[in-house]
Amino acid sequence: MARIIVVTSGKGGVGKTTSSAAVGLGLALKGHKVVLIDFDIGLRNLDLIMGCERRVVYDFVNVINGEATLNQALIKDKRVSSLSILPASQTRDKDALNKENVGKVLEELGESYDFIVCDSPAGIEAGAMMALYYADEAIVTTNPEVSSVRDSDRILGMLASRSRRAELGLEPIKEHLLLTRYSPKRVEEGEMLSVEDVEDILSIPLLGVIPESQAVLKASNAGEPVILDTESDAGKAYQDVVDRLLGETVEFRFLVAEKKGIFSRMFGG
Amino acid sequence: MADANIEFKGSSFTLSVLHLKTSILADIHADLAKKVAQAPDFFYLVPVVVNIEKITCSIDYQEVKALIEAFKFTFVGFTGAVTKEQRSLIRELGFSFVNTTKITTSAKAVVAEPSTVEKIAEAAATPAPDLYTDKVHRGQIRSGQQIYAKSQNLVIIGSVSAGAEVIADGNIHVYGSLRGRAIAGAKGHHKAQIYCQNLEAELVSINGNYWLSESMEQHWGAPAFIHLIDSELMSSKLI
Repeated sequence: MARIIVVTSGKGGVGKTTSSAAVGLGLALKGHKVVLIDFDIGLRNLDLIMGCERRVVYDFVNVINGEATLNQALIKDKRVSSLSILPASQTRDKDALNKENVGKVLEELGESYDFIVCDSPAGIEAGAMMALYYADEAIVTTNPEVSSVRDSDRILGMLASRSRRAELGLEPIKEHLLLTRYSPKRVEEGEMLSVEDVEDILSIPLLGVIPESQAVLKASNAGEPVILDTESDAGKAYQDVVDRLLGETVEFRFLVAEKKGIFSRMFGG
Repeated sequence: MADANIEFKGSSFTLSVLHLKTSILADIHADLAKKVAQAPDFFYLVPVVVNIEKITCSIDYQEVKALIEAFKFTFVGFTGAVTKEQRSLIRELGFSFVNTTKITTSAKAVVAEPSTVEKIAEAAATPAPDLYTDKVHRGQIRSGQQIYAKSQNLVIIGSVSAGAEVIADGNIHVYGSLRGRAIAGAKGHHKAQIYCQNLEAELVSINGNYWLSESMEQHWGAPAFIHLIDSELMSSKLI
């Protein structure tokens, strides 16, 4: 049985797609068979971050409507053969999906993949509900600021009440907190919520803390998920997230601001 | 139908009880005079029971009665936790001994004895307790969620997030942080209270009287409970 993981947040622009790409690729690099699904119909982004936008022929909606088979629509990643991407449609809207057909697609994918990572659209409307409906686990992506935390809280409520697992009274969706764009320096200066603050408000287990990093933007523009940038803090932090998803215990890094040494201070490093 | 014209029934009344702390009649007289002078109309013909529990040595019961009546009180009888001997002496002298339902250990021996005035069934005098049952919710109430405990108290084992709403016709207990809205006594119940381990609420309301977070400064971020005193919300420290 494939583990269906939804990457969600409520609020937009917090790093759902970046995290989906990094986690999906990271799991594939560990040798697992992974499919990444872009649920953001109409605002196709995941293929850009994955660097496969030129290879999109058919999309998720085509598969749903029976206009293409899954194999025709799935794009194999050029870096890791065990990773596939199911892109969203750019020309349709979110109403194109329905529970029944999405369920069929996920079931079919589940037969040949270990992980199904669903990149949810922002908001709490039909599209986001569709992305989380079949999930077994949820990575709740949150920025350390109040509005993002509030929206994540709302999504957590949805996960507990609107998902398939909730409707059937099964074991609830396993929730993970992923804190992105974290800046320990700004936390120390009191400008940003700390990890503890967010954990206290949301009270779900922490999966990872991704530090604010220049590498993320660079990676997005290059179509190379940031996890491939093994030199960057963000890349390392995503690597830790993947290890934790696979059940390893990894200590949290990048939680305190680096003390600048005398040389970097002198030379403005 | 022999006694159709009269009927004996037990009722409870509020009676003034005069607690004597000394057996020296002159001192009692002086204090009574002072008291009555403050409000002569108030004490006029007021029925009085004299409590002699604190009197260790003997006292002239008839003198006490005379003293009370001299101040225009209506003397009813004696009361207090006293020995059997004292009690029978009082009865021999022709005075009533009034039992209260509040019994101290030394007075237990006299409980069974009937008396002319009795505080019957204390429960009838105090209002019946509100027999609400509890609706218990385990887990956090998230932003956008709403819980209503109809004709019940609401117990939440977890926190109430900002943007969430908890409503109960009875009391609300939050074993966690209260960051959302809490509305107790929703159908009009002025004795409803709100308890929480960490008060950071957006709004609290009891019986229609509400506070926004700015009014909660005193116990903000602390364990507290909110209650109503004469249509005024009050917050108090919980621990």
